[in-house]
Amino acid sequence: MSLELPAAGSPRGVLAIGRSVRRVRPIILPIVTLTAVLLLWQLAAVRLHIPSVLLPTPSDIAQEMWHALPLLVDQAVPTALDTLLAFAAAAVLGIGLAIVITYSRPLRDTLYPNLVFFQLVPKVALAPLFVIWLGYGSPARVAFAAFISFFPVVISAALGFAGTDPAVLRLCRSLTASEWRSFLLVRFPFALPAIFSGFKVAMTMAVVGVIIGEFISSQAGLGHYILRAGSRLETADVFAALVALSVLGVALYGAVALAELGVRRAYGRR
Amino acid sequence: MSTDKLAPSIEVNGVSKVYRAGTAAAVEAVSTVSFTVPQGQFVAILGPSGCGKSTLLMMVGGLEAVSSGRLIVDGKPMTGPRTSIGVMFQDPTLLPWKSALDNVLFPVRVLKRSIADHRAAANNLLQQVGLDGFEHKRPHELSGGMRQRVAICRTLIYDPDVLLMDEPFSALDAISRDEMNELLLDLWQQFTKTALFVTHSIREAVLLADRVLVMTRRPATIVEDLTVPFARPRSMALGENREFNEICRHLRERIEDGHGRSRAPRAGTTTRRHEAAR
Repeated sequence: MSLELPAAGSPRGVLAIGRSVRRVRPIILPIVTLTAVLLLWQLAAVRLHIPSVLLPTPSDIAQEMWHALPLLVDQAVPTALDTLLAFAAAAVLGIGLAIVITYSRPLRDTLYPNLVFFQLVPKVALAPLFVIWLGYGSPARVAFAAFISFFPVVISAALGFAGTDPAVLRLCRSLTASEWRSFLLVRFPFALPAIFSGFKVAMTMAVVGVIIGEFISSQAGLGHYILRAGSRLETADVFAALVALSVLGVALYGAVALAELGVRRAYGRR
Repeated sequence: MSTDKLAPSIEVNGVSKVYRAGTAAAVEAVSTVSFTVPQGQFVAILGPSGCGKSTLLMMVGGLEAVSSGRLIVDGKPMTGPRTSIGVMFQDPTLLPWKSALDNVLFPVRVLKRSIADHRAAANNLLQQVGLDGFEHKRPHELSGGMRQRVAICRTLIYDPDVLLMDEPFSALDAISRDEMNELLLDLWQQFTKTALFVTHSIREAVLLADRVLVMTRRPATIVEDLTVPFARPRSMALGENREFNEICRHLRERIEDGHGRSRAPRAGTTTRRHEAAR
């Protein structure tokens, strides 16, 4: 019985620890997993004497990254710029076409089924066509990346505009609001979550598009860097560029997520 | 509202609404309805659901086209929505991302009037409906009754001459509904406007309105035009009044009679109770 006394205070302490563990678990668990995988990789590569051309160790890659960092940053710049340009073009054109589809019944009937059809076509296969049409420069890569990231924007924006609460649109009508006014004040803000989920997919697709473009037509950029390092069997270099590319991809995606937060907050506050 | 109160505000003259006209599936939602509402009068349209009363209201608001007949509001034939007419719908239809205050100011923004000029009035209205302290709450943080109060304020902020209300309290629980009725009675003392109030609650109609029009299904038309004799200001206590309950009973019989007639071929007989009641 005497044992119960000191134990009486501790359940609360245990609970508190449990609660804070549960709170940080979503952050801790992935990091622990990643670290474990890297450790295993390192161990396996060393113990099994895997040649570094086939699979360099994480420490080799880290070392390579450290050496090549200025070069990698240098190569990331054109990739990032092309991606942003392609994304911007896809966003503007996508929303524009979604507006047209929303307000014109005949155009919706004509275009929408084709858009859905094109969404299903493996558009990556069309990359060589863009080189034929636009040459070996940046415009071909931007155009191709914009082309493949444009579809998710149109489709999700069109769905968002169409999904606007019809009761609120009727309210706008009863207030004699013009179409443009009710678009700005109601339809657009209503569609924002859908538009941003389209944007997130589009940003990912834009990175993919630019890298493919760089694979087939470039003298610069991370895609070109990966291809060149691969052809020289500098595997650690390939991995270093892949890490850089992942960081770039996460940063660009994060930028879209941040923009969404900002836009939503701006709409909410006003 | 300075003009003669007896001047007609709403004139409905032989108005019908037919959906899918000219086809085999044509449906007559409203059948040659006629009535006038003088300025400043509160008229309830009472009827079972699906009798076309909401369609009638939407036609008066210019949100639905008239199939035949004439519809005049404030001396001008209806051709479309007007800012002198305010419509309250069954749902509060608030913008979920805006605060209560910003939702009240929504018509001001739509009509490109000055927000700054209306902010004080909006706060005032929210206070009058008992929502002071809730100005900055979003709709999802408010109860159903509170949301409908915001919707009332939103209709009053741009000061329409005619108010059209389409079963605004039908989605609320009984207690909130009583509260809203009381609130509407109170507001009516201050903002005397012409009002058309669609409801399927007999007691709500008699409590709120100066006049009750009973609408039936098949034909979707008005079968009774009853003047409610109670003076204003009224309160919820009116519900216990004997005459009040007599009127409610009479109206119920008129509605049941409308039902009975539509079912007559199957039921075989028609109830005649209302004849005795009259």
